[in-house]
Amino acid sequence: MATVQLNGLTKSFAETAAVNDLTLEIADGEFVSLLGPSGCGKTTTLRLVAGFLKPDAGQIRVNSEVVSSPSILVPPERRSMSMIFQSYAVWPHMTVYQNVAYGLKFRSVTTAESDRRVREILAVVKLAHLAGRYPAELSGGQQQRVALARALVVKPEILLMDEPLSNLDANLREEMRFEIRRLHDEFKITSVYVTHDQSEAMVVADRICVMNQGRVEQVGRPEEIYESPKTRFVSEFIGKTNLLSGSLEEGNRIRIGDGLFLRVANEGGSRRGEKVWVCIRPHDLELSRAADHKQSHVQEGFNSFSGTVTRRIYFGDAVDYLVQLAGTDLVLRVIAPPGRRFGMGEKVFVLVHPERCVIVG
Amino acid sequence: MSLPGAGVLGKLRVAGRPGLRRIDATLPVWVGAALFLVFLMLLPLGSIFVTSLRDEHGITLRNYLDVFTEEAFFKAIWNTVVVSFWVGVIALGIGALLGWLVTRTDLPWKRAIRALVMASFVTPPFLGAFAWTLLAGPNAGLLNKLYRSLTGSEEHLLNIFTIEGLIFVMALYSFPYVFSMIANVCELISSDLEDAANILGAGKMRVALSITLPLAAPALVGGFIIAFLHSLSLFGAPAILGLPSGIHTITTQIWALFQYPPRLDLAAAFSVPLLLTTMCLIALQKKILGRRGYSTVGGKGGQRRLVQLGVLRFPVLLLVVGILSLSVFLPYWILLKAALSKAWAVPLTWDNFTLGNFGFAFFSYGDTQRAILNTFKLGILTATVGTLIAALIAYITNRQIFRGARFLNFFALAPLVVPGIVLAVGLFIAYTRPPLALYGTIWILFVAYLTKEMPIGFSQAETTFKSIHPELEEASRIVGANRLRALRDVTAPLARSGLIAAWCFIFVGVIRELSASILLFTPKSKVVSVVIFDLKEEGQIGVIAVLGILLLVVSFLVIFTVQRLVGRDVLASRE
Repeated sequence: MATVQLNGLTKSFAETAAVNDLTLEIADGEFVSLLGPSGCGKTTTLRLVAGFLKPDAGQIRVNSEVVSSPSILVPPERRSMSMIFQSYAVWPHMTVYQNVAYGLKFRSVTTAESDRRVREILAVVKLAHLAGRYPAELSGGQQQRVALARALVVKPEILLMDEPLSNLDANLREEMRFEIRRLHDEFKITSVYVTHDQSEAMVVADRICVMNQGRVEQVGRPEEIYESPKTRFVSEFIGKTNLLSGSLEEGNRIRIGDGLFLRVANEGGSRRGEKVWVCIRPHDLELSRAADHKQSHVQEGFNSFSGTVTRRIYFGDAVDYLVQLAGTDLVLRVIAPPGRRFGMGEKVFVLVHPERCVIVG
Repeated sequence: MSLPGAGVLGKLRVAGRPGLRRIDATLPVWVGAALFLVFLMLLPLGSIFVTSLRDEHGITLRNYLDVFTEEAFFKAIWNTVVVSFWVGVIALGIGALLGWLVTRTDLPWKRAIRALVMASFVTPPFLGAFAWTLLAGPNAGLLNKLYRSLTGSEEHLLNIFTIEGLIFVMALYSFPYVFSMIANVCELISSDLEDAANILGAGKMRVALSITLPLAAPALVGGFIIAFLHSLSLFGAPAILGLPSGIHTITTQIWALFQYPPRLDLAAAFSVPLLLTTMCLIALQKKILGRRGYSTVGGKGGQRRLVQLGVLRFPVLLLVVGILSLSVFLPYWILLKAALSKAWAVPLTWDNFTLGNFGFAFFSYGDTQRAILNTFKLGILTATVGTLIAALIAYITNRQIFRGARFLNFFALAPLVVPGIVLAVGLFIAYTRPPLALYGTIWILFVAYLTKEMPIGFSQAETTFKSIHPELEEASRIVGANRLRALRDVTAPLARSGLIAAWCFIFVGVIRELSASILLFTPKSKVVSVVIFDLKEEGQIGVIAVLGILLLVVSFLVIFTVQRLVGRDVLASRE
């Protein structure tokens, strides 16, 4: 049973704050992903949790016991954690078996018990037949699984993963995501997973913590993060997005251009007259011809703008359009199903439900 | 598999509390090593500066005035500049040619040629110089004898005891430095870069002039500077070849100032300009090599096509073999002949054959036994302690153990800019008086070697640690190993072969060292290189040859071990 609390965590390198006043709570058995662009401080955060770095301010508590603070640092070896490194860090001078068995030397297990556990976990990661090999004789994916087995065999309270899949090729990466999630469902170890790949985070994590410039932008379940981004950064970083700016006016309307108003379902705490940003996902926009403008759409209060198709890219499973709104220089990106096609230069209507227009900070 | 047992965290002990207890137990080791290194460098160099600015009355510039106004001293400086310049030029020519030939052409026997360049590199220059006195001394030199018997002339063809002779021999043993630089660069310049110019319409000549040459230019200039510096700091070769005809260089002049009555103040004042020149040149070289981002020359996937030499293939090979016979075959042959002959100058027949020189050198001759013992004792000791310190320092700088650790780099590499004889002057001044009166023992030689070989050991150790990802160590800590255990289980085994290589480099450097030893030895603490130098005066040619061969054989064995161990060219790993 392990919960992790990060409280006001701050760490600077040469005057620049890599992690800045970060607060995050991780429940027992929860799988949290730290997601952000490179340099956002996610790896630093993970290394702070592991105890490789000492915070300049703030605290890390494990089960409400302080393990890191500016004055206290429990060394990594006494934290009952495991970590999977970006480079895998599989020891090249030890066989697969020796790599996996290494951590058990530091736990009071008998030789027989150790052997049993190593063989068991090697079977789980499907490496049993390679136990006697040296890492140099393994493929990248196999090395990765050695790292995984080595981290799991010690039955850690907390499992830390630092971009564990970034060195794998695309197919293997996809497969290993599901594998990591499956192992979490099996063992329920409290896990922190650092990545810059949003789809990876969505597959593996219960909750995603989006970071930018050392700060938390938003924490939430994957669907929350995607459907209701709280900040411009989150809306742009997670998925594709159209960002429009305008001033909030009466009746939840946002003036996005000359005589052009966008209705939103929720003002998201902004006041009237305030300048706001609105995020609309390209998938949530629909295109239609003037002739077959659907009555239902009007009734449901869809926003509707006229415009011209200025770019069209066919992707097989979807068509990616750019539509210039009439009388403005606003351009919206629309990703539509391939069923109905619209030609270059064609006059169209762009439709979107107010629920799908989210005001971001 | 069951879930992680509850309560494990209960056993978590809070190790760190404010104050001393949170300092890592290994920290004193790191700090100690760092301080030792700084001390090692600062004391001798500081001593030189202080002594050069002092006379019996106090602070003065008189020493410098004396040095720069005395004509003999001025002549020595001039000789040094002339010799070093031409050594630089010739070494650049030979080194660049060979470096290019073995990397970019279809010259046959490349591996053998590399091995022979390596042999020239390993040969101590003083030994080469000695061998060349036997080959091209004006009277008894074998090449002159051959010339006389062929032409019937009474004159000599070659005289090695001249400025030209000195330049010739020093260039033979400086060119491997240029070679390794050029060969490295040539291996990095991919044919793609040349093809890119080719496809845009440049002809072969144009490509060579506008692409290949500019890319290689920094290495060429850098190579010249290295060869220049190398010959600037040599003592043995100029002493053996120059002194008999009264030609002094800066290093031999400093040595002369140590002869009775010693003038330490002048020697110190004379050392300072040499030291400053070396510093400036190294800084210049770093700048030239650093500017164009050499790593960008490389890039993966770049292919290198070999230039077809065509009909020139064998004439060029002949030329290369000719050059290498000057630096390796002829000297080695004459040494072997001298070692096995009763009289070295007459042909080696059964009547003239003897193994007596070996017996005499190893068992009878008083000085040599002790010197051999001293040399190997010092070699093993320095290599062991040096590797240990180099490894500690490299580990500290590589893993940034404490703040400011990267400045240790500077101190570890600083001896590079200190010519051996200048270092010896500093050590002599620093360690002849209490509290550290090391002079007269082999310990002062130990300190000298340790300082002088530190850069080699350090860069080797640094390369080693650079190749060991810190995460390998962290992976061991996170599953339960403490820092020492992680070092023992992970870092040490991974660093082993790299550190053994560092040990070997230091060992080879020590056993051939002459320029510092020559000022620091005493009768009790003689080493082989000094004995060779001394025996020359006594004309014990056979014994010198035996000792020279001993040095060479041991060096080659050690270098061979390294190559097997690290699996790459030793020349390539030295800058």
